[in-house]
Amino acid sequence: MLARDFMDTQFHTLHPQQNIAEVFTAFQKASAIEKKKVFGMMVTDDEARLVGMLSMYDVLNYVQPKHVAIFGEMDDVDPTQAYRNRLSTIQSIRVDDIMTTDVVTVRPDTHLMVIAEIMIKKHIRRLPVIDDQTVVGIVYVSNVFNRIMTMFSAEKE
Amino acid sequence: MSAIETVSIFSGIPVGQAMRRQVVSLAATADIAQGIRMMIRYKANAVLLTDNDIPHGVVSKTDLLGAYYAEIPTETALGDVMGSQPIACFPDDLVEDALEIMAAAGVHRLYVTGANRDEVIGKVAYADIVGLLYRYCRACERGTAHKRLKHSGGDPSARLRVKDVMTTEVWSCGDGDSLITVIESLTSRQMGAVLIKNPAASYVGVISKTDLIIAYHRGVAPKSAAGEIMSSPVHAVPAEALLSTALQQMLIRDVQRLFVHDGASEPGHITGVLALSDAARFRSGSCRACTAGRLLVR
Repeated sequence: MLARDFMDTQFHTLHPQQNIAEVFTAFQKASAIEKKKVFGMMVTDDEARLVGMLSMYDVLNYVQPKHVAIFGEMDDVDPTQAYRNRLSTIQSIRVDDIMTTDVVTVRPDTHLMVIAEIMIKKHIRRLPVIDDQTVVGIVYVSNVFNRIMTMFSAEKE
Repeated sequence: MSAIETVSIFSGIPVGQAMRRQVVSLAATADIAQGIRMMIRYKANAVLLTDNDIPHGVVSKTDLLGAYYAEIPTETALGDVMGSQPIACFPDDLVEDALEIMAAAGVHRLYVTGANRDEVIGKVAYADIVGLLYRYCRACERGTAHKRLKHSGGDPSARLRVKDVMTTEVWSCGDGDSLITVIESLTSRQMGAVLIKNPAASYVGVISKTDLIIAYHRGVAPKSAAGEIMSSPVHAVPAEALLSTALQQMLIRDVQRLFVHDGASEPGHITGVLALSDAARFRSGSCRACTAGRLLVR
């Protein structure tokens, strides 16, 4: 029950130089391939080394206007148009400008129990699996939960 | 004992109502690149630095411009370039007092602590107080804006316009000037952004403090020409536009200033600047609804 036994080895990555528009396209493409919503992606450099993570939350946080509380009181502002205007002004921002660089990672031989503990304590939903500085997989909280669920079901039987 | 009590729009409003709970902080050992990422992602003008989770200092965009100017590598610890100690207040302190503390200390933000002075529970920034003022004035039934609208039967021509409030002094740099010149221009005049002119004397772009720290983060040399990193074209509002429309534009775009063109000539001809603080001062200082309801703009 080590990370290598239940990690996803098919994963999608972003490049630090991609801009916000390319990020949206990459998230859409990854979700279509995986046939499920992808909420976060690893950022790797030209040598496939992990340099950061970018989640949908990070992007949303950046897209949101800072004084959003005032919008509710502006009855003469069309929120759709306001959002469109915002997207046109932020498109020059790159992945490297807003990604999280302080990333918690695990090794292929990290135990399920340790991974579950990290996810609970640090509120992390996905953990990159790194072997010799290279990304070899990713563990989602659903992988951990499914593995534990399978163990319980097998014991019952 | 004072015989006259000054009443302003903020009288009785505690800091707790104007503060943000989200405080952007990093360990003082984190590098400049991380600090810039945090500022961009959270649209913050400063990062609180901590040492063993205890507030230790503040590094602002202006401090980072100084580091860029001095060509300090972005791998340097933020603690080595921080500009000032964090100044704190309590959530039940009054907004008026908070503004006075900001003025006396020459800062634009205060950190809010609870009974434990080492635990920061929020932040109150000058821009947030201006935002609060905007909301109060907008909602005020007795305010000038409401009265003007009422008397004119809803005619928007009776409302305040950008030209009534804007500053006509416009500073600019050339597109061939180095970023060093741009930084000098911004810091010496305490501005947030400067217009960029081409050799034909047309305004072709804008460089803000945020543009400069992004350039610093991306490794653009400070000797590079302004034209390389400027945002183009210049977004400007007509001088005849309603003040409320301009304020909305500023809030939507997360900027604290808009350039103004006179509408008669081409849009590239800039005739003034409208700062968020100018708009705030005009709204509060000119309205009889609040006796002496003047927000001092610094």
